[in-house]
Amino acid sequence: MAVLEVRDLRARYSASGPEILKGISFRVEADDFFAIIGPSGAGKSTLIRCINRLVEPSGGEILFYDREVTKLRGRQLRMLRRDMGMIFQEFNLIDRMSVMDNVLSGRLGYTSNLRSLFRAFPRDDIQHALSLLDRVGLLEHVDKRADKLSGGQRQRVGIARALMQNPKLLLVDEPTSALDPKISREVMALIKQMATELKVPCLCNIHDVQLAMEFCNKIIGLQDGNKMFDGPTKEMDQAMLDQIYDMEVL
Amino acid sequence: MNRDMEPRPATPSGTPQREWSRFKFPDSLIGYGIWLSILVFLAYTVEYLDIPLDRLLGMFGRLGTTLADRYYPPDINYIMDADYLEYVIETIQMAYLGALFGLLASIPLGWFGSYNMTPSRLFVYPIARFISMGCRAVHEMIWAILFVTIIGFGMLPGVLALMFFSTGFAAKLFAEEIEAIDMGQVDAMRASGANLFQIMIFGVFPQVRVAFTGIAIYTWDVAFRAATVVGFFGAGGMGWYLKRNILQIETERVAAILLSIIFLVLISEVISAWARARVMTMK
Repeated sequence: MAVLEVRDLRARYSASGPEILKGISFRVEADDFFAIIGPSGAGKSTLIRCINRLVEPSGGEILFYDREVTKLRGRQLRMLRRDMGMIFQEFNLIDRMSVMDNVLSGRLGYTSNLRSLFRAFPRDDIQHALSLLDRVGLLEHVDKRADKLSGGQRQRVGIARALMQNPKLLLVDEPTSALDPKISREVMALIKQMATELKVPCLCNIHDVQLAMEFCNKIIGLQDGNKMFDGPTKEMDQAMLDQIYDMEVL
Repeated sequence: MNRDMEPRPATPSGTPQREWSRFKFPDSLIGYGIWLSILVFLAYTVEYLDIPLDRLLGMFGRLGTTLADRYYPPDINYIMDADYLEYVIETIQMAYLGALFGLLASIPLGWFGSYNMTPSRLFVYPIARFISMGCRAVHEMIWAILFVTIIGFGMLPGVLALMFFSTGFAAKLFAEEIEAIDMGQVDAMRASGANLFQIMIFGVFPQVRVAFTGIAIYTWDVAFRAATVVGFFGAGGMGWYLKRNILQIETERVAAILLSIIFLVLISEVISAWARARVMTMK
């Protein structure tokens, strides 16, 4: 059974606007670490955001463990999002909260309103958060405010927050483009390692082709909202890359 | 020296001379038109209202002598009187209650009236905007007169007037703050499966907390200043003293009362600066 199956996905930001995704289809299996590559404006972010419905698709189907998700609303939609961890390009941490509160916020989908109001998370969640912070190497920064951390540390908090959800799928949106090359590699390695260890499939937008080839077992190539390539990393060659990056959409 | 000798920025050779202006034709005409109409309307207004400019200029000399002759020295003993101080405390309490309840009402109103975070853009948003606009459209003195008419003299109409005034004042500012947040943090909370309430607590409130505190303190300042005069219309507080002494032409007492108001506002400014600094560094 596929973790995620996307069929003929279409998206546009306004009814009269241009179509950003023009019928994308692909399957993610349980042990996949997918890279989505393509030039700026190809629709990579839109594709990722359609899957957890931060962006509403305008057509097509998304099956998550054989469950159609494009029609979910309210509580059911939140339950779906709870099962998909997301890691962001700009980290999107709550700057004015501590590292601990940031990681715990990954549990909001499991937490009642009253507990959320007083930030009174259950003891198990706190234990879980501490062990994740240990794994990403931030245990000594647990009480620091998130805006006091460096870029690499901030993304590690983002990773811990996403894993805090016990996700069944990780959506990763350009995790390294705000980081320098060395830190980028470390962050990708950490995501890969945690995903393998926790057996979470990944769908990762990345503009750095080299990182994609190195860390991912499958690649989707997008160009101007069309899928140009979909296959194992080893089948990707220079001719294909040239074709994908041929048309720059600015 | 020949002007041609002055150094010029190097340009790539072979590119033709091009014309460029910041404001292109229709925009430039509209821009000048707007400035011209502002000046014309200013002249027309001065002419229409028949403002005697010579008296305006002579005002400052008279202001000095009036203050020196009638308002100086301020009657400090008068404002040290226990009866007066009781009214001062009543004014502070009135402003406190009005601002507090106004702010409490403003938080949901600001949330519902912010375009990005409102639970429903179609229904809740316009209603919240209408309520806060309605509170703001009516001047605090009109609210005071209104409530005195409805429920009679005393503290209560003053508190209600200040509450409505504070609500209109703060709800708009709160909503604007919420509309200016970084939506990335909101996206992150949505992606974790949080509901709207949780998104407000984690994604929005930490971003606006400092601004909200500043607005809350500012609201209190404004409410307190308003509280000093709602007594004019029988709505409680030291405004009654102010009115009585103005009517009795007890100018030295009026001066003392005005001084006491300035003093109290100064104190609240100092406290507000301290509180803001505290909130900035909070986790």
